[in-house]
Amino acid sequence: MTKETKISIAILVIGFLAIGLYWFSGNKRGYSIEDERLVLPKIGENNFTKLPEVNEYLADIKEALVKSNGVVPLKSSELDSKAIEVQEFLLHNRDFLADTKDSQGRVEHNDMMTIRPAIVSALSPKTKIKCQMTLCYQAEKYNFVTNTTTRAIVDVKNKKLLELKRFSQMQPDVSKRLRDVAKAIALNAPQIKKELGRSPSVKDMSMANVRSSLNKSPCENQNHLCVAPTFSYHDKEEALWAIVDLTDLKLAAAKWAGLGKTTTPSCISERSFQNREVMEKYCQKDTLYSRDGWSLEYRITGSDGLEIINTTFKKEPVLKSAKIVDWHVAYLSKEGASSLDDSESYVAGRRIEYVKDKNDSFRFGYNDAMGCPMYSTSVVLAFNVPQIKPIVKDGKEVGFYILQDYRNPKWPMACNYRYENRFEFYKDGSFRVVGVNIGRGCGENALYRPVMRIDLDLGAESFYKYSSGSWQKWLTEQSDFQRDAKEYDQGKYLYKITNQKHGYYIEPNRGQFNDNSRGDNATLFATKFKSGEGDEDLLTLGSCCKLDEDGVERYIKTHESIDNQDIVLWYVPRIQNDARAGHEYCWADTVLEDGKLVVKEYPCIVGPKFVPIKR
Amino acid sequence: MYNLKKYLPIVIAIFIVSIGALWVISKKNSKKIKEEKIFDIGTFNRIRGCGRHPNFLAKLRVPQPIAIDLSQQRYKGLAFLYGRGLHQAVHLKTWEAFDYFSTYALDPRGNIYLSPMPFVSIKPKTFEFQKNIYFLDTNSGNLSVWLSLDEVKATPNNPFGVIALVYDCDDNTLWVSAIDESSYSKSRGLIYHIDIASKKILQRIKGVDALSLALLKSSKGKFLLMGDARKSQLLAMKIKESRALVTPIKLLELSNSLEHIRKIKIKGENLLELQTIPFSYTLIAQTSDGEDRKYYKAVWQRNVLSWKFKIR
Repeated sequence: MTKETKISIAILVIGFLAIGLYWFSGNKRGYSIEDERLVLPKIGENNFTKLPEVNEYLADIKEALVKSNGVVPLKSSELDSKAIEVQEFLLHNRDFLADTKDSQGRVEHNDMMTIRPAIVSALSPKTKIKCQMTLCYQAEKYNFVTNTTTRAIVDVKNKKLLELKRFSQMQPDVSKRLRDVAKAIALNAPQIKKELGRSPSVKDMSMANVRSSLNKSPCENQNHLCVAPTFSYHDKEEALWAIVDLTDLKLAAAKWAGLGKTTTPSCISERSFQNREVMEKYCQKDTLYSRDGWSLEYRITGSDGLEIINTTFKKEPVLKSAKIVDWHVAYLSKEGASSLDDSESYVAGRRIEYVKDKNDSFRFGYNDAMGCPMYSTSVVLAFNVPQIKPIVKDGKEVGFYILQDYRNPKWPMACNYRYENRFEFYKDGSFRVVGVNIGRGCGENALYRPVMRIDLDLGAESFYKYSSGSWQKWLTEQSDFQRDAKEYDQGKYLYKITNQKHGYYIEPNRGQFNDNSRGDNATLFATKFKSGEGDEDLLTLGSCCKLDEDGVERYIKTHESIDNQDIVLWYVPRIQNDARAGHEYCWADTVLEDGKLVVKEYPCIVGPKFVPIKR
Repeated sequence: MYNLKKYLPIVIAIFIVSIGALWVISKKNSKKIKEEKIFDIGTFNRIRGCGRHPNFLAKLRVPQPIAIDLSQQRYKGLAFLYGRGLHQAVHLKTWEAFDYFSTYALDPRGNIYLSPMPFVSIKPKTFEFQKNIYFLDTNSGNLSVWLSLDEVKATPNNPFGVIALVYDCDDNTLWVSAIDESSYSKSRGLIYHIDIASKKILQRIKGVDALSLALLKSSKGKFLLMGDARKSQLLAMKIKESRALVTPIKLLELSNSLEHIRKIKIKGENLLELQTIPFSYTLIAQTSDGEDRKYYKAVWQRNVLSWKFKIR
């Protein structure tokens, strides 16, 4: 056999092997939604007000709000001579402008979107007949506050409004100016540049997916006006879709998706992006993070919020686990207990629990579990991904925190909640477990109780309470009302947990952390670690509304010894919300400001700090 | 010349491999295109079902029209609404014993088969309830567990179990869907085909997460329609001689990827009504009020092989 024949056989064998591998590998099922890659903007990287297109637009909104009726007119470059006349007519027409102010007479932001010759399909039969005899134009205006589109049909020659229709919760075709604003945001978004590996240009982008007339929004917040400019790559059969929120003037999200006819949804949702990112990166796996001498892992649990695990400081073990397993929410009703029946009832889809009290009063409410946005029993769901940021005091970085935002999808509407889980780690080795409540709840008399579970990793631990001027060791499982404490070691520390070598003081929050907190008013439980008592995901723990119980009592019933043991601390603050003007606490409100709806947040912040004991 | 000739086998080998490679690449790509084709389900129309309302309602002289209410808004469990504006109701406390229901199917004698549903605020028995098919007796109105599918295990990571069912008038069987084993990364839903007389499972179809089920007869045969719990699409499985052919075919996809088909109704000639909810294997969707539910009319235009949608 010649050398050439051997080479030929080798080519045939290797060639067919490669073909076989190609056939059996790769994506034979075609494009599927699982192949989509998601891009979520990080909070703080989403400010586009300095872009000339955005800046100029904002200035025009301001001018419209101050000088006129809140309607930003179309520029004459977008209009023909007849449309200019129609715009001038409509901007002075009382009927057309009737929805530009709220019930208190405050001006709302509106944009004139399009003015063009009337399309037959938009006309009623009566108007159609009129428009056969005279020239008609149609104009569309969008109210950003009420998410309403107004369509007017105008007899151009006689300057007469022939027809006026308002479409609530509907959005129109956007103006060329807003398309340019969307393009500018998409082209300048750092996340888009990073995905494309370069600064894209206008010619790379198509606006084919700009909304079609009177459709629903692709934003998570369907009350916002969103468009989706696209960067298509036909050679790779994929495109980068950007969702630009024109109400908030930001990039909401982006994704890589296929170009197939039946596979790319024409409407893509910001929330589905977020959910998938959270699920894939934080619910399915632990994330390792190191900084300032700290090393830790974190994950989003199914129903116990953000959990910090396996934490060390300068290689010394500190925490096995820290998390907030529940928020108990209880409301007080001062009368009506006698007429309550035992049947269940629901508010905003939640099962309400009732606990009768004295004098015909009763408490009612529910337990909120926080968890992954999919495949969980939680009702307050992870919103966007965990954020890590520096803690700065007096201009100096003193540590960092990890924060996870949880929201009911409809927050800040009534009976919808928003909680933040925050874990602060300081350069001096101290740390703080923080629960933040940003309302809004169902009423003005809510009592919130976050249930914090903190399992330190000191080994052979002992627990102490400061009382009568000295540290008293707890020998068995028990609880204590921090809210009743009168004396603190060094004016700060009420408890400490130690092993033979080192330990931590526990500094309850009494408003000394300069975060406008009104204190923890907590109950503390020290229990011996047992499997099944919160080491894995806990379903809701205890009653929302029995104020003499926090739910953890079940774990101290046997009063087991906790001296030189693995101790788990349960810390349950009590927060009374406040909706009085000027005193808001655990509250959120939506107000009209500069022509647009703005959410005002009044967080209440609770949680103890753990400070290393210096020997 | 001889020098060139000796390389001929190499040239031929390269040629053969190239031809093979081209063929494989084109075949693979054509497969892709084929999968994106619209499936022709044939023409179909609404057929009068064989199910009827329970006998005890007639004994109670409850007038028609009667609506079966599983919404959990006014009554826990099950209620029959009637009268002007459906403001009157027949509801027994005993019908609350198994918590909440998601779908029902009526048989020709007026018995009702019900699938469970987890609601908010998980309770100790919630997960246990999800493995059962429930039965409301046509004469007595007694509610009981008709069949426990012990392999169905709801958990905190996926609180759903048996979720949908439909009665098959042709052979007195139930098609039942369970989605308990599915996780974020894997679709492990099951469709059970159960003979009612013997309570025997006739067929198990793996790998389909069906949030809703319906039976459709078209010019192309009988199909089990399934609202996909994972995607915003409607799937179909051909049924031949009482057995489903196990490969689901995508019929249509809605534009909003968050909307999943919760109810399927055949409303008229080539016309489906689809009710959607934002389902994500959490309890949020189940508890959301009316505004999150959307209704689509999907018209099958067979002449152009496309679906036309209208939101209600």
